[in-house]
Amino acid sequence: MSLLALEDVRVTFGHRVALDGVSLAVEVGERLVLLGPSGCGKTTVLRLLAGLAVPDRGRVLIGGRLAAAEGRLLVEPEQRGLGMVFQDLALWPHLSVAGNLELGLRARGTPRTDRRRRVRAMLELVELGELAGARPGELSGGQQQRVALARALVLEPEALLLDEPLSSLDLELARRLRTEILRLQERLGFTLVHVTHDPEEADQMATRTLRMDRGRLAG
Amino acid sequence: MSPVRRAVLGSAVLLLVVAGLLPVAGMILRSLTAGGHLGFEAYRGLLGSARQWSLAGNSLLLAALTTVAALLLGVPAGVLVGRTDLPGRRLLAALLAMPLLLPPYLNAVAWMAAGSASGPVARVLGEGAARTLSHWLFGLPGCVLVLSTAFMPLIMLLVAAALRGVPPRLEEAGLLAAPWRTVLLRISLPLAAPAILLGAALVFLLALGDVTVPPSFRYPVFAVESLSQFSAFYDLSAATAAAMPLAAITAAVLGLEALVSRWTGAGTAGRGREPGPPPTVPLGRFRLPAAVTAWSVAGLLVGAPLLILVLRAGGPASYAAALGQAGGSLVRGLLLAAVGGTLLAAEGFLLAVLGVERPRGAGAAADATALFLFAVPGAVMGVGLIVLWNHPWANLIYATPLILLLGYLARSTAVTLRICRATLELVPPGLVEAGRVAGIGWGRRLVWILAPAAWRGLAAAWLAGAVFCLRDVGMTLLVHPPGWDTLPVRIMTLAANGAPELIAALCVLLVAATVIPVGLLAGLVGRMEAGS
Amino acid sequence: MRRLAVCAVTLSTLLPLAACSRRTASLKPQAQRVVVYVSEDQVFSQPVLEAFQKETGIEVRAVYDTEEAKSTGVMNRLMAEKDNPQADVYWANEPIRAEVLRQRGVAEAYDSPAAEGIPATFRDPEGYWTGFSARLRVLIVNDAVEKPPRSVLDLADRTWRGKVVLANPLFGTTTSHMAALFVRLGDAEARGFLDRLKANGVRLTTSNGESADQVAAGQAGVSLVDSDDAINRVRRGDPIRMIVPDQEPGGLGCFVVPNAVVLIHGGPHPDAARRLADYLLSPDTERRLAEADCAQIPLHAGVPVPKDVPSLGSIRVMKVSYAAVARKMVEIQQELKAWAGY
Ligand SMILES: Nc1ncnc2c1ncn2[C@@H]1O[C@H](COP(=O)(O)OP(=O)(O)O)[C@@H](O)[C@H]1O
Ligand SMILES: [Mg+2]
Repeated sequence: MSLLALEDVRVTFGHRVALDGVSLAVEVGERLVLLGPSGCGKTTVLRLLAGLAVPDRGRVLIGGRLAAAEGRLLVEPEQRGLGMVFQDLALWPHLSVAGNLELGLRARGTPRTDRRRRVRAMLELVELGELAGARPGELSGGQQQRVALARALVLEPEALLLDEPLSSLDLELARRLRTEILRLQERLGFTLVHVTHDPEEADQMATRTLRMDRGRLAG
Repeated sequence: MSPVRRAVLGSAVLLLVVAGLLPVAGMILRSLTAGGHLGFEAYRGLLGSARQWSLAGNSLLLAALTTVAALLLGVPAGVLVGRTDLPGRRLLAALLAMPLLLPPYLNAVAWMAAGSASGPVARVLGEGAARTLSHWLFGLPGCVLVLSTAFMPLIMLLVAAALRGVPPRLEEAGLLAAPWRTVLLRISLPLAAPAILLGAALVFLLALGDVTVPPSFRYPVFAVESLSQFSAFYDLSAATAAAMPLAAITAAVLGLEALVSRWTGAGTAGRGREPGPPPTVPLGRFRLPAAVTAWSVAGLLVGAPLLILVLRAGGPASYAAALGQAGGSLVRGLLLAAVGGTLLAAEGFLLAVLGVERPRGAGAAADATALFLFAVPGAVMGVGLIVLWNHPWANLIYATPLILLLGYLARSTAVTLRICRATLELVPPGLVEAGRVAGIGWGRRLVWILAPAAWRGLAAAWLAGAVFCLRDVGMTLLVHPPGWDTLPVRIMTLAANGAPELIAALCVLLVAATVIPVGLLAGLVGRMEAGS
Repeated sequence: MRRLAVCAVTLSTLLPLAACSRRTASLKPQAQRVVVYVSEDQVFSQPVLEAFQKETGIEVRAVYDTEEAKSTGVMNRLMAEKDNPQADVYWANEPIRAEVLRQRGVAEAYDSPAAEGIPATFRDPEGYWTGFSARLRVLIVNDAVEKPPRSVLDLADRTWRGKVVLANPLFGTTTSHMAALFVRLGDAEARGFLDRLKANGVRLTTSNGESADQVAAGQAGVSLVDSDDAINRVRRGDPIRMIVPDQEPGGLGCFVVPNAVVLIHGGPHPDAARRLADYLLSPDTERRLAEADCAQIPLHAGVPVPKDVPSLGSIRVMKVSYAAVARKMVEIQQELKAWAGY
C-alpha cells in the first residue's frame, strides 16, 4: 500500500485545466521529486495531497484511505498528518519562531512542558536555538526557510511536502539547505515529496523523479 | 465543514437576521395586515395625495444634490489624502473624516447658530449678512451643505483605500507611457470605480433617510413627514407604510449598485500582494495651490462649524452646566459604544470570514443584508424593533440596553464587515492553510492566526463600530430604555426650548468625547506600527 | 504592546458589560423606582423630576420627547407598548394626548388627593387624567402693529391680510386649539373661519416658536402661539406684545392648555406612580413651573406667580370639554390635512 496516491485526478479553475489524468503513488520512505516548468501544476499536486484542493474527477488516497474524490473533501487537511512547506513559506508574522512551532502542538493538546521540549529540540536540530524569540520578519531568507521546515517537522509528519522552498535563495545557500534537508530526512525518516523546476535540485534530492508538463505527468 | 465553523458562522448570520432583518420584515407584515386582514389599506392614503409626491420629489432632489456634492468633494479629497504628497495629508484626512463620526445635526446646529441674529456672522459682517446667510441656509441649500459634509468622508475614505489597493504594477506600466495625471485618471480611478459607486449609493441613501437635518432647516422631506404622520395621528400602520417606500428605494439602489459593479468587473482587479505602500504621486507645482484649496475647504466645512459651536458655548460655566445636565448620558453613551463596538467588530469579523470563504453564496448575501440595513433609516429600524420586541416575554431584551445593542448591530454591521473584509483580503491565504496542514482546527485558526494577522483591521473595526454606536440618533431615540438615553439623544431632547449656549456646549462635549478617544487610539495604533 | 491593546479593549468591554448587568439586574419591578414618559420640554420637566427623586428617594427613570416635528414621540411609544407597558406615568404637555390615551385604554384612573382645588374643567371626570400648570393660547403682536386684534377670529379679517403666521395645525397645541374652535363655534362656523383665514393668506410655520420668532423679527404682524412663547420673548426684550384674546363679556374666552398627568394601566410600579402623580399635581410644582422660563399658570388658587405671568382668576377661560375636543380632533383630521395642503 502506498503512503499517498492520486488516481486519475483532474483539477480545473474555471475553464483552465490545471491537472488532467494525473496518477501517482508515493511509497513510504522515498524521496519523490516532481520536476517541471512554472505553471505545469506542481503546486496543485501538493495541494491535492495536503487537502487544500479537491479534484473535480479522480481520487486522492492517504495511507490507503479515500481522502477526496469527485469534488468532495473526505479527510480535512488538519486530519491528514502531513507537513508542508509553502512556496511563500507562510510563516505567522505575529508569532515568534518558537510560537510558530508551538501552535500545531498546542492544537493537538500536547502538554506545555512537552511542547517546549520538542520545540527546543527541533530548533536545535535546524540550528536556530538562539532565535527562538525572534519574529519571522527579523530573520534572513535562509533562517526563515529553516523555521518553515522546523514548523512542519515538529509535528512529526509521515510525509513532508516541499513546494519549491529554495527557489528564492542564492545558489550557495540553496545547496547548503538541501544537504540539511537530506540530513534531517535521514535522521527522522519521513517521506518526502519535493517540487521544483530546477533539474540540479532534483538530481541531488530525489530517489525518484517524475517530470510534469502542462498538467500531465510526462513519460 | 467543521461543526464549530457551522455553529459560529451560522449564529453570526442568524444574529444579523434577528437583529436587523426580522424587525424590517415584521414592519412590512404589519403594514400589510392593518385593519386585521391582508391588504394595502395602510398604503391607500400614501401615494394618492399630491403632497406625498411633492415630498418624495424633495427627498430625491436632496439626496441627488447631496450625492453630487459629496462626489465633487470626496473623490478629489480621496485622491489627495490617499496617494499624493500633499502637505499634512493625514491630518487633513482626519479633519475631513470628523463629520462622519458625529451626528449630522451637530453641523446643522452650528450653521444655524452662525446665521442667528447674535451669531458671529452678524457680529463681524453685520446683521444683513447674517440674515442673508440664514435665509440661504434655511431650505435645500442648508440641508445639502450639512449632509454632504457629513457623508462625504465615506466617499473620501473608500476612494483612498481603493487607490491604495491598486496593484502598483498596473500603474507603473502606465507611467512608462504617460504622466501621473493621466495614469490616475485613466488607470487608477477607473479601477477604483466600484468603490466610488458604492460610496455614492450609500451617501444617496443616508441623505434620503436622514430625519434630523431637514427639519432643522425646515425643508419638508418624505422621511420626516412620514414619521411625523406617526407622531401626529398615532397610527403605527400608517407610519410603517410611509416608511416602506424608503426601504424599497434602499433595496433598489443597492441592488442597482451590485448589478453595475458586477457588470463593470467588480472589485479591484487582482489584489496585489506586493509589500509596502503604493508609490506616492508627486503634485509638483500644484502642491501649494492644492494644499491651500484643500485646507480652506476643510476649514470652512469642518473647522468653522466647530469654532462657531465653541464660541456660542462661551465660558466654562456652560460646560459645567452641560456636564451637570448630560454627564450621565455621556457616560452611558460611551459605555454602550464600547460594548457595541466589540459586538460589531466580532460580528463584522465573522461575516467577513464568511465572505472570504464563500465570496459568492452566503458571504455575498450577508454583505448585501448588512449594507441594506445600514441604509435603512434609523427611525424605521427603531419602530421595527419596538414592534418585534415589545412583549412581556422579551422584557429582558426590550427593557434593557440589549435592545440598543441589537439595533446597533443591525445598523452598523456593514461598516465593520467592510473594514474587516478589506484587511482579511490582505492576509496571505497561505497563513491559514499552513495552520490547516499543521492540524489546527477552524475555530483555533480564527483565533490563533487570522485574528492576530488582521488585528489592525479588527482594531479599526472596533473603533468605527463604537463611533457608529455613539453617533446614532434615529434608532436610539425611539427604543432606548428609560434612563438609558445617550448624549446625542439628550441633545435632541434638550434642544426643545433649551438655552442655545447649553446646546452648543453639549455639542462640543460630544465632539470631544468622540474625537479624543479616536485620536488617542489612532495614535496608539500608529505608534505600535512604527514600533514593530 | 499589542497585548496591552488587547487588554485595553477587553477591559473597556467587560467593565461596561459588568456595569450594564448590574443595572439591568436591578430592573425588576420594585417600589423604589418610577418610570415616566415626558412630553413637556426636558429643560423644564427634568428639574421637577429631580426634586421629586431627591425628596422621596424614589429613583426616576425618564424618557423625554424631542421637538414635535422631529420625532415619533413618546406618545407613540406608550401606544406601541400598550400590551407590555414600560412606563408608570405620562406627563403630557396638553390634555388632548391624555384623552387619546384614555380612549385607547392605555390610562388608569386615579383620584389624586393633590388634585383637590384644581377646577373640574381641567380634570377628567373619571380621573383618567388630571391637569396642572397651564399655558394659554394667546395672540402675539409686533410692536409696529398699531391696532392689535382682540379676538382670535379677528385674524380672518381683511385688516390682517398677509400678516398672519400660524404653526402647522396638524401638530401640537395648534391642533387642539382648532378642534376647540370647532367644538365651541360649531363645525360650519369654524370651517368658515378657517376658509377665510386661508383666503387671507395665512402662512404656516413648523412650530409656535418659529411663529413667535417671525413676529419678533417683523416678518409677520401677528400670530397665535402659546403663552410661554410670548412671555419668553417679552423677557428677552423682543419688540412684541402678548394679548390674551376674547376677554370681553360673553366672548369666546381664552383656550387654556394645562399639562396633564396620566397613570399608565398595568405599569410596573403603581405605588411610586401615585406618589409622583401627587407630587406633580401639588401647588409646589405649579409654583416651580410658574417661576421657570416656561412661565406656566398655576391651576390651584393662591399659588404665587411672577408679575408677567397672568393668574387664572383674572382670565375668562374658554368653556369646552377636553374629551369633546379630543374626539373632534380625530374627526377633523382629514379636513385639517386638506386645509394645510397635505
Ligand atoms: N487559485 C487558482 N485560480 C486559478 N488558476 C489557478 C489557481 N491555482 C493555480 N492555477 C492555475 O493552474 C495551473 C497550475 O498551477 P500551479 O499548480 O500553481 O503550477 P506550478 O506550481 O507548477 O507553477 C496554472 O496555469 C495556474 O495559473
Ligand atoms: Mg508552484
